[in-house]
Amino acid sequence: MKIRNKPDGVLGIVAMASIIALSLSGCARDGAGQGNGSGSSPGITDTAITLGVTTPLSGPTAGPGTCTVAGLAAYFGSVNAAGGVEFGDGKTRTVDIKSYDDAYDPQKALSNFQQMVSDGVFAVTSGLGTPTNRAFREAAISQQVPQVLVMTGDPLFSDREESPWQLGFVPIYENEGAAFGKLLAESDAQHKVAILSQNDDYGKGYVAGFKEAIGGAANVSVVGELTYEATDTSVDAQLTQLAASGADVFFNAMSITPLVISSLQKAQQIGWTPSWFLPSNTSSPTAILQPGGAGAYPGIYSVSFSKAPQSPAFAQDADVVKFLADLKQYGNYPDMPAFPHCMWSYMVGATLEEAFKNMTEPTRENFMTALRDIKGLQAPLMLEGTAVDTTTDGQPAVSTVLVQKYDGRGYGTVENFG
Amino acid sequence: MGTFIQLVVDGLSTGSIYAALALAIVLVNQATGLINFAQGGMAVLSAYTAYAFLQLGLPLIVAILVAVVISFLMGAVIERLLVRRFEGGDPDTAVVVTIGLLTLVTGISAVLWGYNNLAFPSLFPLTSVEILGAVVSVRSLATTVTIVAIMVVLQVLFLRTKLGLALRAVADNPGSAAFSGLPVGRLLMVGWGLAAVLGAIAGVLVAPQLTLTPGMLDTALVYALAAVILGGLSSPIGCVVAASAIGVLENLVAVYVPLIGHDLKIAVPFVLIFVILVIRPQGLFGRKVVVRV
Repeated sequence: MKIRNKPDGVLGIVAMASIIALSLSGCARDGAGQGNGSGSSPGITDTAITLGVTTPLSGPTAGPGTCTVAGLAAYFGSVNAAGGVEFGDGKTRTVDIKSYDDAYDPQKALSNFQQMVSDGVFAVTSGLGTPTNRAFREAAISQQVPQVLVMTGDPLFSDREESPWQLGFVPIYENEGAAFGKLLAESDAQHKVAILSQNDDYGKGYVAGFKEAIGGAANVSVVGELTYEATDTSVDAQLTQLAASGADVFFNAMSITPLVISSLQKAQQIGWTPSWFLPSNTSSPTAILQPGGAGAYPGIYSVSFSKAPQSPAFAQDADVVKFLADLKQYGNYPDMPAFPHCMWSYMVGATLEEAFKNMTEPTRENFMTALRDIKGLQAPLMLEGTAVDTTTDGQPAVSTVLVQKYDGRGYGTVENFG
Repeated sequence: MGTFIQLVVDGLSTGSIYAALALAIVLVNQATGLINFAQGGMAVLSAYTAYAFLQLGLPLIVAILVAVVISFLMGAVIERLLVRRFEGGDPDTAVVVTIGLLTLVTGISAVLWGYNNLAFPSLFPLTSVEILGAVVSVRSLATTVTIVAIMVVLQVLFLRTKLGLALRAVADNPGSAAFSGLPVGRLLMVGWGLAAVLGAIAGVLVAPQLTLTPGMLDTALVYALAAVILGGLSSPIGCVVAASAIGVLENLVAVYVPLIGHDLKIAVPFVLIFVILVIRPQGLFGRKVVVRV
């Protein structure tokens, strides 16, 4: 009889690795502790401030993830070229950005955070992803490192008691779902709605906001409601089932790009052509709607707070022209952005600059105070009617969204459904 | 009834994706005795190669043919330079090597083309036809037909040709095969080359639907492995039948068994594997390995 002794070896390696990991994390904590003694926080000198971004730069979410760095780098690249930001303490500093790839993996995001702490980053910002941002939220709180203006619709990050060192940037999922529900409830016609949602906080948030907004409306009924897993490669079966409900409006709370494309193709193939509601992060005209053949539907609706550079309506807009030039020159992103995250992170840059201008001491505490005191800031690229407001507890920096309708190339704001 | 037929048809079309990859895995296993976990990654790299030639201005079909030829060479070279060193040894080591290869190949695709979803044009139009009240897209119909054709070719290759016999002999017992005068090394390279060709075809068939990303076939690989185990490692027909069955069953169970639903349907093929392997360890269509003592 052959007895395998491999498990011992494996156990040994695992044990060894754990010991090394433990001692390493111990070191990191010591390193962070030393920084707090002096007058200024780590990551800020008299001439420069360093920001860190952990975001997916590889993996399926890398498209939007790359944008969260590109827009920020574009904004501050341009600001640095003009000399830097004059902070509230009278000193002018340039802004350095360090980016770290987490591949949308919570474990990697957490180790990236530890790396940022030892690399001397002043604040973590702009990174995309709910599970990844959640992964180091508690570590950021205990080490008192700001984790601000991050790209997640999770309300937890905007709850000041729970998250004293955090602030979300983009509207929470409920904000977006509610905007759709409100539009539909105000419509004159009767509507039957089919809902497909991702089986996690993302999908649930959208559906909750939507249902609350249609709560009292007699003209809207939900006739079908299904879910899918983020790892699924096909939702054909769900679409077939929902098509049978005869709904004229389809709310597809989906965050996976190829699935949205194949959904758009599948529904028209089986002869189901409702109006669509799509979340802001999966409604890109070039990356999703055109390959999906969205022209076959009576209307594709999404929500936005940012001008769409692809849209002919904004082609000559001064913000858009400067943004595209900065993105090309400083953001290492020569193409027309396929994801709104490029625009969002550009606005994050403007919001941070505003906070820096109001910072009277070079500390993280002072930065958080300054950041939480911005109201009515019309950052570049923001649509008329939306603004940055960081003063309300429970709300992210941007909480107003406008419903948009696809016009064949880009989006335009609409007041009414239909 | 219309919904039921539509679900079956959709399941068959999803199943054909799993089947394409499963066939390549069976081919490598028949030719070299290994399970190649990198098959999906190599197929994606082939699809990217076709995409690159497409960008150079070649017509789609020419780009695909060029990619197929390059894939054959790539498969043969990988066998010769990398896998050869592990073929005689511990099968566990070889498995780990192919998993490492998967990571490497995926990384290469990512470095060269990035992680953005690239639109890959289809050989077949996106129009659809009605069969028995169900809507079938011409694209998935053509994909299925292509897969079945490849399956028939493979079955004939293995059971009716000298090359097939030689490939099987080498996989089964490299030592004896060498003594009877077979060029073992070259046959192993041919086996991997052919599997890479199959992977390339699978890649370009599914890329239009899934859109081209380095991890495009990761989930499909899991299902393909399930199909291979279920259908029997030695049977091309078996794995195609198993892959189709998985696709259809998943859909039907998700819609008609509320307890399972769309969220738990991924467990269906694996529960099926447990049950079938307990009853028939060689898989549904596999040959029983008999060892004389």
